[in-house]
Amino acid sequence: MKFDTIIIGGGLTGFTCALTLAKAGQNTALITAGQGTLHFNSGSIDLLGYDEQGQTVDQPLAAIAHLSQEHPYHKVADIATLATEAQALLANVGLPMDGTAERNHYRLSPMGVSKPAWLTLPGLVQSADERTLPWQKVTFVNIAGFLDIPTEFLVDNIRRKGTDVELKRFTTPELEQARRSPSEMRATNVAKVLADERALRKVAEAINALQADGEVILLPAVLGIANAKTEAGLEQLINLPVRFVATMPPSVPGIRIQTRLRQSYQQAGGMFSASDTVTGGVFQENRLRYIVTENMPDERFYADNFVLATGSFQSRGLMSNYQGVFEPIFGLDVDASDKRTEWTRAYVYDAQPYMKYGIRTDKDLLTFRKGDRIENLYAAGSVLSGHNSLKLADATGVDMLTALQVAHNILNR
Amino acid sequence: MTEDNQVLSKSAFNFEQCLKCSICTVYCPVSAVEPNYPGPKQSGPDNERYRLKNPEYFNEALKLCLNCKRCEVACPENVKVGDIIQEARIKYSTHTPGLHDRMLANTDFVGTLAHNFAPLTNFALKLAPTKAVLHSVMGIDKHRTFPAYSFQTFEQWYRKQAEEQERFDRFVTFFHGCYANYNYPQLGKDLVKIMNVCGYGVHLLEKEKCCGVALIANGLSGQARRQGEVNMKSMRKAVAKGEPILTTSSTCTFTMRDEYSHLLGIDNSDVHDSLSLATRWLYRMIEDGKLRLAFRDDFKMKTAYHSACHMEKLGWIPYSTGLLKMIPGLELIMLESQCCGIAGTYGFKKENYERSQKIGSPVFKQIKEVNPDCVSTDCETCKWQIEMSTGYSVENPISIIAEALDVEKTRQLNSQTRA
Repeated sequence: MKFDTIIIGGGLTGFTCALTLAKAGQNTALITAGQGTLHFNSGSIDLLGYDEQGQTVDQPLAAIAHLSQEHPYHKVADIATLATEAQALLANVGLPMDGTAERNHYRLSPMGVSKPAWLTLPGLVQSADERTLPWQKVTFVNIAGFLDIPTEFLVDNIRRKGTDVELKRFTTPELEQARRSPSEMRATNVAKVLADERALRKVAEAINALQADGEVILLPAVLGIANAKTEAGLEQLINLPVRFVATMPPSVPGIRIQTRLRQSYQQAGGMFSASDTVTGGVFQENRLRYIVTENMPDERFYADNFVLATGSFQSRGLMSNYQGVFEPIFGLDVDASDKRTEWTRAYVYDAQPYMKYGIRTDKDLLTFRKGDRIENLYAAGSVLSGHNSLKLADATGVDMLTALQVAHNILNR
Repeated sequence: MTEDNQVLSKSAFNFEQCLKCSICTVYCPVSAVEPNYPGPKQSGPDNERYRLKNPEYFNEALKLCLNCKRCEVACPENVKVGDIIQEARIKYSTHTPGLHDRMLANTDFVGTLAHNFAPLTNFALKLAPTKAVLHSVMGIDKHRTFPAYSFQTFEQWYRKQAEEQERFDRFVTFFHGCYANYNYPQLGKDLVKIMNVCGYGVHLLEKEKCCGVALIANGLSGQARRQGEVNMKSMRKAVAKGEPILTTSSTCTFTMRDEYSHLLGIDNSDVHDSLSLATRWLYRMIEDGKLRLAFRDDFKMKTAYHSACHMEKLGWIPYSTGLLKMIPGLELIMLESQCCGIAGTYGFKKENYERSQKIGSPVFKQIKEVNPDCVSTDCETCKWQIEMSTGYSVENPISIIAEALDVEKTRQLNSQTRA
């Protein structure tokens, strides 16, 4: 099979890159071993949340300029422009986002902690600063038996922000039915139950019957795996404004982002392989000629350009064993210490060196293999070295912006 | 980079690689509608730890698993969640298969009986009293419409024209499966037509038995293994002749390539790569320039393609859809990839019927919204389910290609490639 570009990895990075290339008229294929870490995403995209000194960042565009040279943002030619393009890409797939790259706003974690964010799905709780919420009093309504929200922590932390919380819970026959399996009553299954209009109407009735006293009703984000229609439907039926609070994973807002990106890519004509592992490829004169996969071992996938968007350790884009850190598909060069003792710090909350490990790229995001640059194999996203998704809160921004940069680099060849 | 140190930590079906991320739960069709099912994560890698300590931790609720493998398709860590569950059922279940399990699972036996009396069988199966009896006595849900049985099996038709096939000098072997044989020989005839027009004669296996997928699902894995060995013996003979073994059923192919070795302990490594879905073989032959297809100018069709679960697991959807896209007059719409709910014999049982229909309802809804001329899919039980539940007709891509084929032009093009 022959394509203009083949993208390896089906997460935020892979789909951002693939969709951009497909819309520009390229014949593309995206091959992924499984689903990606957007399933744990709370519905926000981060550009830069904290600087390398650990300070919360207020203006990410300004702060990015001060990041050390190894950071992948320095390989993005024009951050502001690509940030705007990323926001437009999401809007075009049916995900209009609140927020601006000039100034961070704050999202609310399931525990009730305010964290800086660049873009957030409308409807999720947002505030302009870390210490307060935009209400004097809220009513937090949970579904009886839904365990993926730590209610006491959430309520306690909201109160510490000076907002009064009234705590209520409700149930309906459909939700009671789902509750019979506590291990499977996850946000995604609740979303599927409530996709039915009658079930949703009963939820609205039950919530209205609570006679909430707050300015808004806060609900766990359990609506709308594929789009925001169910949320809109519920908001119309409830007599108070409704806002949603991110849950523990599996996270419905994150899955909505994944689903919309994947569907848009397929609608744009891209070939999508949902469950295939790339096992290797053939290199010739510093170019990757073709790759092979587990499900189609006798097939050769040729392309002019390839993009590696396989993620970090969780997604197996990077792996480690007693001998070192490595990139498992092609054995690309990695920026990592070969001394295992240097990988970690003893105190788990310190910045961990391994978090910055990743594959080495040049200024155009081209990769290296045994010291030689591979002229048509790009890399983007969490697989890149030099960033720290925990300490800098930069993961999803690095994903989208490096994905767009690679797409531009390819289209400009 | 050697991995000697890690060799010992490789667990069966990769169950130790499970991160407990719950992504499998998101994509399990049963979990979405059935709270009595513990879900793929718990039934699979979570519970496996307990079962390894003590088989008493096995839970019969695992029979609610459809064996659709969508958990495996979604898993980011390559854990064979579905295999873990099926193997646990084989190893630990003490449930003895009942009469309806045996009847539904023994497609060869029932097929042979039913087709011989086909007109009577088909008539009787449509009657409400018959369905009521099947429902109460046999546990086969009365809402289910049985697919019609054909009086003449595909094998009987084939034998009548077997000599015709010998006039070719190149051959493929066709594993026809139960559906084409007993219910819908037209599919087999369509496959033979395409092959013959392209210059290939078609052989059958020396002896073909049902692939056994229904036997495995119904607790009759011993019988499945015996039938598997018969199929293996015949397939080895085809391979020795240098003939690729082609199929028209995604589930039969998946069962013989994957389940034989993963679940039945049959070593199929010597035939694995020779066994392929016919659409995949055709696509690759065309890609390599060894075969060409030409299509009629007057053929027009709007089809919605349904991704059968096992087809998604095999990863071969691009072959079937790629082939369909070669037909100029065909408008192809990809339906969202979801389980139709029937899961082979599962959906025929009265205790599963409602669940099956709940699982499939998003598929049915989308088909009605798209309103195609027909639905296309590579799995025959999906075909029954969609036809029964929506009223739209469903065709295998091979049948669509056979109908759209410009026979004369294709014949010419292929005699040229041989020259």
